[in-house]
Amino acid sequence: MDLLDTTREAFRLLFSGDPTLWGIVWVSIKVSILALILAGPLAVAAGFSLSHVVFPGRRLLVILVQAFQSFPTVVVGLLLYLLLSRQGPLGALQLLFSQPAMVLGQMIIVFPVLAAYTLSAVQGADPRAYETAASLGAGRMRAAMTTLWEVRFAVMAALFMGLGRIISEIGCSLMVGGNIAGLTRNIPTAIALETSKGEFAQGVALGMVLIVLALGVNVALAAVQGQGGMRRAW
Amino acid sequence: MVAVMEIGGLAKSWGGRPVLRIPQLVLEAGSSYVLSGDNGAGKSTLLRILAGLEPAKVERFAFEGKLLQLGRLPAEVRRLIGFVHQHPYMFNRSTLANVEYGLRLQGVPRHERSRLAHDALTWAGMAEFAGAPAQRLSGGEQQRVALARAKVLSPHVYLLDEPTANLDADGRRRVLELIAQLAAADKVVLIACHDLEMINLPGVVRLHLENGSLEGEGPALRALAGG
Repeated sequence: MDLLDTTREAFRLLFSGDPTLWGIVWVSIKVSILALILAGPLAVAAGFSLSHVVFPGRRLLVILVQAFQSFPTVVVGLLLYLLLSRQGPLGALQLLFSQPAMVLGQMIIVFPVLAAYTLSAVQGADPRAYETAASLGAGRMRAAMTTLWEVRFAVMAALFMGLGRIISEIGCSLMVGGNIAGLTRNIPTAIALETSKGEFAQGVALGMVLIVLALGVNVALAAVQGQGGMRRAW
Repeated sequence: MVAVMEIGGLAKSWGGRPVLRIPQLVLEAGSSYVLSGDNGAGKSTLLRILAGLEPAKVERFAFEGKLLQLGRLPAEVRRLIGFVHQHPYMFNRSTLANVEYGLRLQGVPRHERSRLAHDALTWAGMAEFAGAPAQRLSGGEQQRVALARAKVLSPHVYLLDEPTANLDADGRRRVLELIAQLAAADKVVLIACHDLEMINLPGVVRLHLENGSLEGEGPALRALAGG
């Protein structure tokens, strides 16, 4: 099958609503969005605390969070595999090769990205925002929420960045998901498998979906950053 | 006169260097205080400490007779201490929403909140800007909105940090008029400033910060004077 036939077949799969292909897309979106929703609030709170609360070891923690942004996803997968395998400390949970394991892995991957970007956003925020909220009667939590609202465009950008990182990662999903058809096969693991079998059409179709998703995330990110920039320029 | 705010044994250091040492300061209801001092004398720091925004070593702090920890003021007390920055921060929302912010925290119903905020903006001469994005306002307009935002919560103490600094003549005149109205009410108004017109206003208690110590007149520093 030449490149033209492969592309034609890929489009046919996409537009015929092929259930296998769209099932894989659904697994990818579901797992990544769930990981983002579960890790998001914790990571944003951690990022805010790191920028705002002074405690011993904070500097080391900031360095670790920043370093873990580029931690290889396959190593995260390996460590999680060891924890979740039958002999591992969390083996009793029987999560290995399941979507919850993939969600857990992606949460670990996205956490430092969100925390580091939130930290940077809050550090860039005007400190008077928190003080003004506090002087108007806001408690610590409410003043923190107000500050985060003031830098909401940067925090939203962090969420899009995080989504972009996990929706396209393959190492961890392959290790703890196991690439099981109809269950844990997502876009990146399916592309790798189909390509290794010489079945390029589905891989190309899934690649197109991944590119569209990545472009969509980046367009949303640019829109959010543009809006924030316009507001700051006032 | 009733003491609204009493602070005793205040000490503040930056990197081990003492910047403020105030044995006693008493702010009384219905009194206005003007706090002068050179740049870097610690005027803003003192106001921020009194607002509970800056940590400091304080032996005794009482608000309306109640002993409290200054660094851990409950929200209901913080609301009674209206602090306005030299360059007030406007939340990234409308002018009206900025003034409503504190009322929203108190759980004031929406209709009542809007009415009170409109009244406060009218008092500040800013009603026509209610729907405008607050961050777009000029410095003088933001200062007036900040005064309205503080006033709407009916604080018992106003702490105003250089409220007329960097304002043009018209903005300065309007802000001075508003401050005069606040001072005429039975409130405590403490203003840190360099503004000679304000320092020389009749009826105000003049305090001066120099080398970290407070000098002044009247009963505000009674312990200092041995009273």
